Amino acid sequence: MSAVDLSGRTVLVTGGGAGVGRGIALACGAAGAHVVVASRRENGVEVVDEIVTRRGAASWSQCDVTDRESVAATVAHAVARTGALHAVVHNATSNQSSVPHRLEDVSGELWEQHSSVSLRGAYHCAVAALAALRVSGGTLLVMTSPAGIEGSATLPLYATMKGALRGFAKSLAREWAPHGVTVNVVSPLAYSPAMENAVAEDPAMEERLARRVPLGRVGDPEIDVGRGVALLVSADAAFVTGQTLGIDGGHFMSL
Amino acid sequence: MTTPVRVVAPGASSFGTALRDALAEVDAPGCVVYVCGDEDAATVGPLDALTPDEWDRRAERVLRDALAALRDAHRELSPRGGRIVLVAPTAGIPGAPELVPFVTAVEGARAMAKSAARQWGAAGIAVNTVLVPLELLVPSAAGATSFLSPPAIGAPTLAHVAAAVVAFVDPSRHGVTGATLVVDGGSVMAP
Repeated sequence: MSAVDLSGRTVLVTGGGAGVGRGIALACGAAGAHVVVASRRENGVEVVDEIVTRRGAASWSQCDVTDRESVAATVAHAVARTGALHAVVHNATSNQSSVPHRLEDVSGELWEQHSSVSLRGAYHCAVAALAALRVSGGTLLVMTSPAGIEGSATLPLYATMKGALRGFAKSLAREWAPHGVTVNVVSPLAYSPAMENAVAEDPAMEERLARRVPLGRVGDPEIDVGRGVALLVSADAAFVTGQTLGIDGGHFMSL
Repeated sequence: MTTPVRVVAPGASSFGTALRDALAEVDAPGCVVYVCGDEDAATVGPLDALTPDEWDRRAERVLRDALAALRDAHRELSPRGGRIVLVAPTAGIPGAPELVPFVTAVEGARAMAKSAARQWGAAGIAVNTVLVPLELLVPSAAGATSFLSPPAIGAPTLAHVAAAVVAFVDPSRHGVTGATLVVDGGSVMAP
């Protein structure tokens, strides 16, 4: 049961088919939103089924955020299906995000895999959604990480993209404020498929990580991160813009 | 014989040329300064009016250029270690309207520099950042940060920026890496 009320609101979640994106979609659905689960693969259909099974409302739109037309079609789907779009959560990230690499060895191909999803995807989401968000007085959310603020010794490209997204969001928050559209950033710490795989290979990792989190555990994608995002895309957060919210059990407090 | 700081800047950066001149007499072997951004990258305009090509030129190309510069510097410095300084505008801290792609790149470059500092520290390469007012680096874009508080001690000059860079290339500052020094006369005062 969610304390946040998203009744009558439409929330589009990119990368909504798995991991944190799935958790956000489920939480927004539980809070009463119609959730447009945007995913490249058909796992988004399963998330829609979960939301509907819980008596929520959702629809799937196949979406490749690296393709401008694909994102525009997903936004059009949201508006055609529900009559409005109140929030876009750009959560999609490259499937290479958690693969360690050296900055001096980065290939053009690896760069493109990161940049096309994180940065160009954010650009595509923003441009495609602006008209609908202006009408609704809506919001755009992008996802970051402590790596985007303090750098990363193992994932420098991931850190680069996440830092860039904070610059993107803060600037866009200023640019879109006159339109009544807010833009914010969420920095989550929760189980994702990549983290679950890493824990499966190294079970001690979970305890090591939990020791670094003041609240003593890794977050749940739906209950912890999803509900936090639901609050940010609700009407109650209409005066919040240009902010980075850590939903991470206190893991990163150096902002 | 003097080995000056090597200043790498986009071709259209008059600030880069001026900084190179200001540092010409500094003897600092094993040091590379990279200036992030130029007039084209910092073209002011709303995001929704950009073409995909303009987005690429003002955001992704700027970041790719930063990566290429850092990698070149790493290749040059890695045998013996050295110091890299990124010079970028303060606009990334508060954000800047109608400058979304460029500020996206600037904040990405800052995170990239910190990551480089973490990865290359063991090889004796320090990477630090100096942030300067946007109007100093790209005068044509000055209006995009007009909302900022006026500098408490007045606007910095190129000489102030050069002095900050010299501080970072000083080998006696061995313990400093991944740092950001804001040289804006006390305007942003963050973090």
